[in-house]
This record gives sequence, C-alpha cells and structure tokens, in this order.
Amino acid sequence: MSFQTVATNKPEIQSSPATGNAVAASATVTSGSISALPEGVTGDALTVVDLCKSFRSGFLKRRIRGIEGVSFTVPRGSVFALLGHNGAGKTTTINCILDLVHADRGEVRIMGQEHKRCESRACVGYLPERPYFFEHLTGQELLEFYAALLSLPKDIRVARITDVLQRTGMTEYAGRRLSKFSKGMLQRIGLAQTLLGDPDVLILDEPMSGLDPMGRREVRELLLELKNQGKTIILSSHIVPDVELLADSVGILCNGHLVETRNLREFNDSCSYLVQVACGGGQLDGLHLPPWVQAKMQPGSAQQQCVETDNVDQLRELLAACHAADIPVQSVDTRRTGLEDFFMAVHADSDNGANNNSKVVS
Amino acid sequence: MNGQISALALSTFRETVRDRIFYLVAVFGFVMLASTAVLSPLNVGAQGKIMADVGLAAMVIFGLVVAVFVGSAMVRKEMDKGTIVTILSKPVGRRQYIFGKFLGLNLTLVSMLTVMAALFLLMLLMAPGSFSFRFLSAFYLSFLELMVINAIVIFFSTCVSPILAAVFTLGAFAVGHLSESIRDFGQMQGTAFQQQMSEIVYYLIPNLEVFNVRAAVVHGDPVTMNHILMATLYSVAWTALLLLLAGAVFNKKELRG
Repeated sequence: MSFQTVATNKPEIQSSPATGNAVAASATVTSGSISALPEGVTGDALTVVDLCKSFRSGFLKRRIRGIEGVSFTVPRGSVFALLGHNGAGKTTTINCILDLVHADRGEVRIMGQEHKRCESRACVGYLPERPYFFEHLTGQELLEFYAALLSLPKDIRVARITDVLQRTGMTEYAGRRLSKFSKGMLQRIGLAQTLLGDPDVLILDEPMSGLDPMGRREVRELLLELKNQGKTIILSSHIVPDVELLADSVGILCNGHLVETRNLREFNDSCSYLVQVACGGGQLDGLHLPPWVQAKMQPGSAQQQCVETDNVDQLRELLAACHAADIPVQSVDTRRTGLEDFFMAVHADSDNGANNNSKVVS
Repeated sequence: MNGQISALALSTFRETVRDRIFYLVAVFGFVMLASTAVLSPLNVGAQGKIMADVGLAAMVIFGLVVAVFVGSAMVRKEMDKGTIVTILSKPVGRRQYIFGKFLGLNLTLVSMLTVMAALFLLMLLMAPGSFSFRFLSAFYLSFLELMVINAIVIFFSTCVSPILAAVFTLGAFAVGHLSESIRDFGQMQGTAFQQQMSEIVYYLIPNLEVFNVRAAVVHGDPVTMNHILMATLYSVAWTALLLLLAGAVFNKKELRG
C-alpha cells in the first residue's frame, strides 16, 4: 500500500503502554528527523493530553461522558486516523481540538500553540462531517469569503481559489449557488475551503462520508497527494479500508476512551490472503509444499485450488513453492486485514468493559 | 482582524439582501409609505404632517421587523446548520464573529433606511411646503434606535431560541418606548417597592424614546445638536454593553461540527 513508502521517510509513531490510567493510550515520537524549528514550537503538529469532555443531557441534566483521558501526539507530516464506531467520541475529540466545544480538562497544542488561541487555527484546515455552507453564496463567493477569513492577501487570493477549485474538480460549478449543490459537491467544496489556506494540519471528520464510489476514490487520491506533500492529516473514520489506505498510525476510540494507538505497519504483516492456483487438490499433494498448506486448503475443483494464508510470510512461502513447482498462480486477493481484526478485537474487549462502565457519569 | 470582521459583515449583508423575507418586508415598507400619500388628502391642510408622521413611524417599524426577523435566527441558524464551525475553525474569534454579524445586520438596516428615506423625501417633495432638512435628524435617530434594537436581538439570539429572542426583543422595544412613563407612573402612584422596580426597569431597558423625535420634526420644533450627540453616546454605550454581553455568552457556547 502506498502509505508504506511514504511512512519510511517520516517520524515513526509507536504505542506506549497504558500509564496508570487503564483506558488512556498515547502515541509518541520515537524516531525520525525534524528540521530545526522556531523556539517554542515542537516537532509535533498536534499534541493532545488527557482530554476529557462530558455533556449534560435530559431533564435531570445528567452528565454523559463524551471522551475521557484521550491523549495522543501526531508528528508533523504524518497521517493519524481516529477509528471508532458511531458515537465513540471521534467528532467530540475533533471539536475539543478546535475548541468548538470546551473540554472539561486536558491540554491541546496545534503546531506548538495552545488551541484556545485563535491564531493556532491559522495553520489548520477543517472539514466537518456534514459540511454545510451558506446556501445563498456561489462556490466562488464562498471561497472568497473563507479567503478573507484567512486574511489571504488579495494578490494571491484568486490564484489560490482557482487552484483549490481545480484540485477538487469544482471549477465548472464555481458559479453555481450552493443551494443547488449535491451532497458530493458540498463535500468537495468543503475540501476546497479546507485547502484554501494551504494549511500544515488538516483535520477531516469522516471526509468520505456520503460520497459515491467515484467521489470516495477521488477524495482518497487527493488525500494521498496531500500526504505525499508532507501535510499532517488527522482524520476520523469508521471505515477501516479507508484508514488502512491513508493513515500512518491509528487511534482506536471506544466509548469515549482512546484504547489503542498503533502504527499501521504493524498490521501489514498480519493480513490474510486467498491464493488461487491452477491445479487440482490431488496434484498439490505430490509437491514440496509447506506442511501448513494442507490445513489451509479450501474446497476446489479439478482445475483450480484455493489456499488461505494467515500472513505475508506464508504468502511469500506459498508463492515461492508454486513458482518452484511451476504451478500457475491465478490470483492473490486480500481476504481480511490485520487492522480490521484488531479493531474488532479491541472493540469487543471495550464493549465488555463498557458494560461495567456506563457512559452516564453523574 | 478587520478584514475578517468585514468579511463576516459583508456575508451577512449579502445573505439578508438575498433573503426573500427581506424583500417582502421592504416591499411592505414601501407600500406603507406610498399609502400615506393616498390617505393624507383625507385631512385637508395637514397632508405633509400625516405623510411625515406615518412615514417616519413606518421606517422604524419595518426596520424593527427586519432586525427581529433576521437577527433572532441569525446566530442560532448557523449553529444548528453547522455553518459556524467552518468559520470558527479559521483564525476568527467568537467576539469577532458576533461583531461581524452585528455589523452585517446594521449594514442591511442602513441600506433599507436609506432607500426608505429617499422614497420618503421624494413623497414629501410632492406635498408642497412639507420638505425640510430637519428630517435628516429623524432618520439618523431612527438608525440609532435600530442599531440598539439590533444589539438587543443579537444578544438574545445568543442566549435563547429564535422565537424567544424575537419575543424578548419586541418586548424590549415596547418597554423601551414606555420606560419613562413606567418610571413616572411608579414614582407618582406606587409604593416604595413599586418605585424601586420602575426605577430598575428604566435603567435595565434602553430608553428608546430618546430616539423618538418624530413629533418634534413633524411639527417643526428644533432637534438640538446636544440631543443628537447625547443620543449617539447613549446608543453607542448600550450597543457596546449588549455586544460585550453577547460575546461573553457566545464564548461559552458549545458548537458541534
């Protein structure tokens, strides 16, 4: 996958063991080169420490936990994904980072600056989950409005707007009112306003939600392009394949707790694959194949046979054996990914814990 | 900073101008003004005074309707729809946002007043002997009154639902015009408690009668420069106080992306 090649040039993220707080997890920079930075500016694009947020709800104004003890660090130039089920606390975390909701406790630094200072948001581009803009404006007017909010000098404003319209494929719709935009077009113009200030940090809440397959692909390609440009991207999603394709590291949120942060490369080796070879089951018996192959063989026909491998090593071994025995390999498909399994396992564990740990805190 | 406030103000202005409700109310305003020209011949000899009195009152009433209609839902609509989160995720402070919205609505009211005033003066020109430059002071004081109402509606729109904001603003408008009478009545008739209460109401609600010089202007009485200056300071002080309070309330708001 493409993120592997990019990640090799970037600081690594490694999960650290939970520290005292059983539910808090953190990711820290362990290696990688950061160029000399101005005084007071750290090498991390985003630092979140012990973020907590609860909401009052109902007639009795009972306090409902949104997130609790969320801590993570995102190095510059990396892509960090918040993965979690609906209601896990992804959007609340993002809202707290941007100070749209006021955290009960915790510290957030964006490019070294305290997040409550509105100057800290000058280097941030944000796309909400359901982008909604002034319907009375055209796409062009909307971007001019945001350009003014970003205090972009007038001489570069036009060029920047033209550029982002082009990058998001919205040039031909720029003169159309937003009330006439489809959901996918709103998402694209939302991305355009996100990119307008050429921000170092992009915070994207479910950036591919509501898009058709073509739209998803285009957005994915745009994000990959931004990643290759060295932008720091923080995205939230509950769609595992999207995360796998884009992210360098992932934080898994369950019931408001960041239960795990992992480098995605850890999961690449534990993908399982389905290999289809052009020979019957009986023919394989006489060959010098690894002993585990028989156990992993699936019912096939007289002409072809399928073998499932548990990891990349087994895949490599099987392909080498087939090559040595001159057995044609018809296809290799990804059966399931390590992250998906991991996410489901973490989620199941967390659900068990959550039964004893209600979201109502007072 | 100024660029951001002006961007917010212009966007708000553009939104209200493109809003059909605004056009509808503006049309009603013009129809009202035009009707004075039709009705005034019924009172022979006082056409000019009737036209001026009704016209000036209509300008404030229609300004009030636009301010309440647009202002009461302005902030809440953006919070509910979510447009506000993309604005405040940019380097824009919450107080700047409130001030920008206020300026935008003020720009709308000024534009509306200007058009109505031009039409009003045009009609007065048609009634011989009615036209006078003293009406300019009435226009200016009407604008100051609408500016205070604008600040009141913005303040309430940050605290309560649009319907309540509209009701409270209309209530403040009514009490604001009656506050002197309430205080005088309390002082003359009431018990010590009633006197204190009437005093509190007088100081708690802006006294909008300060801006009402219609009768004086229509009957040719002078409006002193001192009165205009004091009314200006009074409106600026109330507006600043209300916007500061609105900013403080809005700073504590939780916005969902």
